[in-house]
Amino acid sequence: MTTKQLSIQRYLPEQGSAPYWQDFDIPFDDSTSILDALNYVKEELDGSLSYRWSCRMAICGSCGVMVNNTPKLGCKSFLREYEGPVKIAPLAHFPVEKDLIIDMEPFLDHLAAVQPYLINDSGLINGSGESEETFKQTPEQMEKYKQFAGCINCGLCYSACPQFGLNPEFLGPAALTLAHRYNLDSRDQGKKQRMPQMNREEGVWSCTFVGFCSEVCPKNVDPAAAVNQGKVESAKDMLIGIFKG
Amino acid sequence: MQQQDIDIVIVGGGGAGLRAAIAATESARKENLQQRIVLLSKVYPMRSHTVSAEGGAAAVTSAEDSLQAHFDDTVAGGDWLAEQGVVDYFIRHAHQELVQMERWGCPWSRKPDGSVQVRRFGGMKTARTWFAADKTGFHMLHTLFQTSLKYPEIERLDEYFVLDIAVVDGAVVGVIALEIATGELTLLRAKSVILATGGAGRLFRFNTNAGIVTGDGMAMAFRHGVALRDMEFVQYHPTGLPGSGVLITEACRGEGGILVNKDGYRYLQDYGLGPETPLGKPQNKYMELGPRDKLSQAFWQEKQIGRTGKFGDSDVVYLDLRHLGKEYLHERLPFICELAGVFINVDPVNELIPIRPAVHYTMGGIETDANCETRIKGLYAAGECASVGLHGANRLGSNSLSELLVFGRLAGEQASQHAATVAFADSSALEEQAQAHKTRITQLYDAEGEENWVELKRELVLSMETGCGIYREAEGMQATLQAIHDLQARYRNIRLQDKSRAYNTELMQCLELGYGLDIAEATCLGALERKESRGAHKRLEEGLQQRDDINYLKHSQVFFNADGPAELRWQDVDTHLSAPAERAYGDAGKGIKQ
Amino acid sequence: MAKQTSYFPELKRDWWLKHPYFKKYMAREATVLPLVFFLVCLLAGLFSLLQGAQGWQGWLQFMQNPLVIALNLLAFMASLFHAWTFFQLFPRVMPLRAGGRTVPPHLMVLGQWLGVLVVMVLAAWILMGGL
Repeated sequence: MTTKQLSIQRYLPEQGSAPYWQDFDIPFDDSTSILDALNYVKEELDGSLSYRWSCRMAICGSCGVMVNNTPKLGCKSFLREYEGPVKIAPLAHFPVEKDLIIDMEPFLDHLAAVQPYLINDSGLINGSGESEETFKQTPEQMEKYKQFAGCINCGLCYSACPQFGLNPEFLGPAALTLAHRYNLDSRDQGKKQRMPQMNREEGVWSCTFVGFCSEVCPKNVDPAAAVNQGKVESAKDMLIGIFKG
Repeated sequence: MQQQDIDIVIVGGGGAGLRAAIAATESARKENLQQRIVLLSKVYPMRSHTVSAEGGAAAVTSAEDSLQAHFDDTVAGGDWLAEQGVVDYFIRHAHQELVQMERWGCPWSRKPDGSVQVRRFGGMKTARTWFAADKTGFHMLHTLFQTSLKYPEIERLDEYFVLDIAVVDGAVVGVIALEIATGELTLLRAKSVILATGGAGRLFRFNTNAGIVTGDGMAMAFRHGVALRDMEFVQYHPTGLPGSGVLITEACRGEGGILVNKDGYRYLQDYGLGPETPLGKPQNKYMELGPRDKLSQAFWQEKQIGRTGKFGDSDVVYLDLRHLGKEYLHERLPFICELAGVFINVDPVNELIPIRPAVHYTMGGIETDANCETRIKGLYAAGECASVGLHGANRLGSNSLSELLVFGRLAGEQASQHAATVAFADSSALEEQAQAHKTRITQLYDAEGEENWVELKRELVLSMETGCGIYREAEGMQATLQAIHDLQARYRNIRLQDKSRAYNTELMQCLELGYGLDIAEATCLGALERKESRGAHKRLEEGLQQRDDINYLKHSQVFFNADGPAELRWQDVDTHLSAPAERAYGDAGKGIKQ
Repeated sequence: MAKQTSYFPELKRDWWLKHPYFKKYMAREATVLPLVFFLVCLLAGLFSLLQGAQGWQGWLQFMQNPLVIALNLLAFMASLFHAWTFFQLFPRVMPLRAGGRTVPPHLMVLGQWLGVLVVMVLAAWILMGGL
């Protein structure tokens, strides 16, 4: 079996403060993912390497890392795709806690800030029978937001966004996409509540449409489109606000 | 050591845990109770394994369907080992829970008129499976997680690894958890505790499960004297990708996909599932829409007679979706197309998907009553970790996503009501137990043993696969049981390479392995002692190849024994609504009341 | 409970040199520079027109300077490049729906270029007609 060199950025806060690079030789074949390679390191070479992973089928969103400076899901990228040595680092633009583990709290705070849930007064059913009906929503109505509902919260788009890198207060692609997803949902009545967050400077207007977020998104959610559609909505909302006084 | 008083502690942030948290909150609001509700999870909730569920969630929906039919399918599907009162409660509440999910924003796939679409699933008499394309679990989990953000009462402790529950005088008094970020212990004194920690598919080498599905909660309850029930029933999903084991949903077959062997022959007709149904016209309970246990067993038989193909090192059969066409596949099964492309470089639009059975689901689990309560007062369990008695000897596809809603909610409500009636226990016993864990962890850090968790884990999963696979015989199981006992002994001599406190993922995996060994013992013991074939448990020995209702129409209950091997007892099954009958599919099932 | 100190890599000023995608983005943004030059030229022309015939002649001469022509040519190319990037992004920001289906993005891009063509022909026609 051929091997490939993996350089992993290590950071061990309990043993000194500076990150450093460590090289490993990994045997691989066509099916070896970056995650497989990390598991190989942990199980065979260095048990102290820390990273997150779980489903290994690109749906849980745990295993995001920088592979040669590009954010990737470890389970969905393969060693065969890379010529020469492969550099693995923690996701960019987040505080690094240990090795490849980043602090997800900023991400979750931003997510929660946009009220990412269906807002509709008749949301809770009582189970007594009378309101045991679903909302009606045609496939066309669903089509409007379906793509934006595919976000797995992996955080790759934040690592791809220089605006988030420059200003961690920027709500960022995933959170704004989720807000837009609910705003577009025919069952939702919460747009009015969400717009103030989106209208802020740290809302949609921090985005300069670099577009890399959509490029790296492993689920083709196209957050850049959502955020910039959000700008149109925000502009409309602010204009209406002006006319209403 | 930090200590907090929490009325209701929920362990696990998957579908059942989140549903329970919301239900407990709603229940407390309704009763005007000020209850602190904390949800702990070893991963961020949206990473939980519910996210990987693909096919859908079952509930009686269409006019031609009936509650009786869903009941009959579930009971027969479970080979009459399901608790029938529980099944009855389940089928009556499933629809309401799916509607609730819709009201919270779950993007269920729709018909042109805007109502919810249902699809066919294996072992179900008619189409009753709600779905969100082929990412149903993903959409359900994210909908639940996002909805939980609406409730400020739900406090989350993400990436907290629960080490143990604390029990005093037969009542739960709290949980002891390890904050993964710091390695420090946290003590939560509680009135009610809900375990929603998922299954234990990772006990087996080849499985469809996420790395976190290690059965921790099962082992905690087990060690405190709660029975693990029906653990011998381990579901092999017939269609996993070779190599990785990544799940290829049953919905593929529900939508009309067919299974062929290396000769292109639809072999299922040889195993009591025929006659062959025409291409593009799937028929419920026939051929590819038989139940999972039968299909996985058919694969094993095909392999024995040399009619399986090869993909890499794996023996495989093939799933053919080509006749469904590109547009339909991309609408109904987009994730399957993505997975097949990424992991084995196959385009289902033009090519056959090689597949093989993989361990998928733990039918058994923590024994609970019909209200999700265990024999420990105030301790509840819901979802895959629990054995409330819904699935019997074999789960029907799409019953589990509904289960975690129906019983997650029930557990949450029960826990809230219970918490309202009791006071916090004296904290000294809790502190004592926490101190013991602290000592244990310290010892683990300091241990200079020779054993390494990687080696032990590999031996365990291999041995489980060999001894407790699709078909089983006493000799193999005895060897596996012996291997587990040896591994348990070796586990005491384990050594950690990583001595750091923060994010010590090696420590986590070590602890998970410790839990896994105990559950494996219960699984293997149950399998060894069940001397009949029923549902997912198939014996090879002469005389044991049939169901034996006279001796084994019973749940197995395995009890932990700190000083020796686990003990097994038998428990009667509730069959008051439907007497055991022949379980048959295909034409053979015609005329049988199912 | 105190968390371990985390390490926060700072984004340096040259962040955009670290990835080809960011360089392309900066190129898109940099198209504004030659365009600013073009606009300054245009304003200077208007100003010199007010200054009388001599000023106008001076401006014409200035505009014939090869360097100025090159810069304006660059501005023209830059505006085409920017339009190209903009047209690519537009269908994602303002998706159009017709008959219950999203209009394919490439059709929208084509439509925008057709629009450019129409405007150019119209402008040429007016200029020709003015002569």
